[in-house]
Amino acid sequence: MRLSFSGSRALIAGGSCRIALILAKHLMDEDIFPLLTTRSRGSTEKISEHLDAYRGKFSTVHLDLANPESLGAAFSSIGDELDYLVDFAQSDYESLIASADSRKAADYFAKNISSRAELVKRATRMMLKKRKGRLIFISSTAAKLPNPGQGFYAAAKLASEGIYRNLGIEMAGRGITTLCLRPGYVDAGRGEAYLREKSREALKMVPTKKALSAGEVAETILFFLSESARGFNATEIIMDAGLSAGK
Amino acid sequence: MNHLTKIKKILANLLDIDAEEITADTYLIRELDVESIDLLEIAVTLNSEFGVEIDDDAIFLKSLRIHLTGAEGSPLPLLLEKYPFLSKERLEEIIGDVADGPVLRVKDLVSYIEWRAAGPPPLPTASRS
Repeated sequence: MRLSFSGSRALIAGGSCRIALILAKHLMDEDIFPLLTTRSRGSTEKISEHLDAYRGKFSTVHLDLANPESLGAAFSSIGDELDYLVDFAQSDYESLIASADSRKAADYFAKNISSRAELVKRATRMMLKKRKGRLIFISSTAAKLPNPGQGFYAAAKLASEGIYRNLGIEMAGRGITTLCLRPGYVDAGRGEAYLREKSREALKMVPTKKALSAGEVAETILFFLSESARGFNATEIIMDAGLSAGK
Repeated sequence: MNHLTKIKKILANLLDIDAEEITADTYLIRELDVESIDLLEIAVTLNSEFGVEIDDDAIFLKSLRIHLTGAEGSPLPLLLEKYPFLSKERLEEIIGDVADGPVLRVKDLVSYIEWRAAGPPPLPTASRS
């Protein structure tokens, strides 16, 4: 099956993670121009290095959800058109709920929920000009499976899913749809570090006994951006090889 | 093309009606059945067409009833502060009209655009495009 795409420009928030980099290559192969957001010069260099063969077919944009002002500057720099948003942006804060630092927890929610709402709002308003757009939020199975220390992470993911789900209901009549993807164990990013330490224990609960690869997740996202997947709106898709289906 | 003509054209296009049906005094919600999703689209289009920042809450008078309820004594001074793009005469008209339903008229959008085009400082509230 050949996938088809109706848009030509994609903003990838959290653009330096491995899945985002693979996705960016797939998008460029489909003649879609990815704009990858970065928080630091190091991330920008990492992107340039990984996508060196695609020079001129992508760009990087500075965007830090901890700094809401960077949102305005980022959207001013990306032009007038946007067809897709793929949102990988997520920071870490691991703590038991009862021992959390109140200030850090508040900052974490401001960054990962309030600033994300602003990001989504700006992207949607840009898409509304063409009455067409697709937004995909990369959530996590942590949204469904509580784990000690991951309460704030799960809460931020669930709140963000709520924003995306509602947006899909509100904007579908104007051609803008949303989807949340909940990957399970992925051999990339923070999952990679976790699996390095606890691979046997973690994968014991996965029916396939294997972690997902970054490539598998990127291909799935590409499919959900395609016209073939336009019937998926305002919902969550679990991609965890059966992890959360068992008990 | 003056601001009113351009705004009428925008509304006609977005709401799929004839521009001739729209006047400066037309009520958006009462007469044109504009819904919240339409207001969002109007804001985005005004921003795009006129190149000015739009504060959705202010231009569509979304918090009008809250301001009216919260005012001690005459609400006029508070409304003059919250809606600097509307004249004293228009605000008095709104106060007298609000019991009959949503008061937003096409001429209020025109006033906002003309005010923004003149380059005032941004309003203190959020929701700008």
